Amino acid sequence: MTDEPRDTDCMEVLDRLYEYIDGELTPERAAEVRRHLDACAPCFRLAGFESAYVRFLEARTRGQHAPAALRKKILEQLLLEGSSSESP
Amino acid sequence: MPESDTKRQTFEAEALPHLDTVYRVALRLAADESRAEDLVQETMLRAYRSWHQYTRGTNARAWLLTILRHTFINQYRKAKRAAVEVDIHQIESYTVFHDVQETDPEGAFFDTIVDDEVLRAIDTLPDGFRETLILSDVEGLAYAEIATITEVPVGTVKSRLFRARQALQRQLYDYAVEMGYIQRREA
Ligand SMILES: [Zn+2]
Repeated sequence: MTDEPRDTDCMEVLDRLYEYIDGELTPERAAEVRRHLDACAPCFRLAGFESAYVRFLEARTRGQHAPAALRKKILEQLLLEGSSSESP
Repeated sequence: MPESDTKRQTFEAEALPHLDTVYRVALRLAADESRAEDLVQETMLRAYRSWHQYTRGTNARAWLLTILRHTFINQYRKAKRAAVEVDIHQIESYTVFHDVQETDPEGAFFDTIVDDEVLRAIDTLPDGFRETLILSDVEGLAYAEIATITEVPVGTVKSRLFRARQALQRQLYDYAVEMGYIQRREA
């Protein structure tokens, strides 16, 4: 059928949007979504918004690092384990 | 060279580089710094003791996160979490985009929200949703890896991530409105 209602397309794209943003779709599926986004302004704008949101989450949450004291404690722990075998 | 030295060297080379990841995930699971540190220590010790079960050159990060998760479930999840959980089933709206498409279609208001506020909001998500979002958005794991670590089908990861992101987005939007960073759309 050539005249699929446009809404169905949009719904499908919305359903796959995060997979698309996360790079989880096959190249073929991703190309389908891309094609729809290029042709559908509302979906394109929504996709832009959601991508910005996901990038924002990444940027705001990846700044923490294990404290140096904790790293040191763990290294010491490993040394103490030393030659003691796998069994507890 | 004694066997223990080799074991420690391979552990230090393959497992320790993931310490920051283990720490960040532990922080969000435990939602408390000192408990998170205990959780990380316990996890790394367990991992070291069962290092012989790990196949070198495979996915050490996922392997460590699996141990972290089991340690957390066994010992920590029972303990009371400080944060109040949001009811994820109350999130009806699909996306905040519909509220801001006229005033802020590119989501510039997100940039006004600082790290601590985002982390605090993540901490209020229910367990299964929180851990999925952390593994995906904080650590960048693929859906299949998250499915393995959290022991659910990929479809469940997908739906949890969807709902967790939407719930979090709504919460951050409400916060931005409350702080006056953005005007709420008049109904
Ligand atoms: Zn569309």
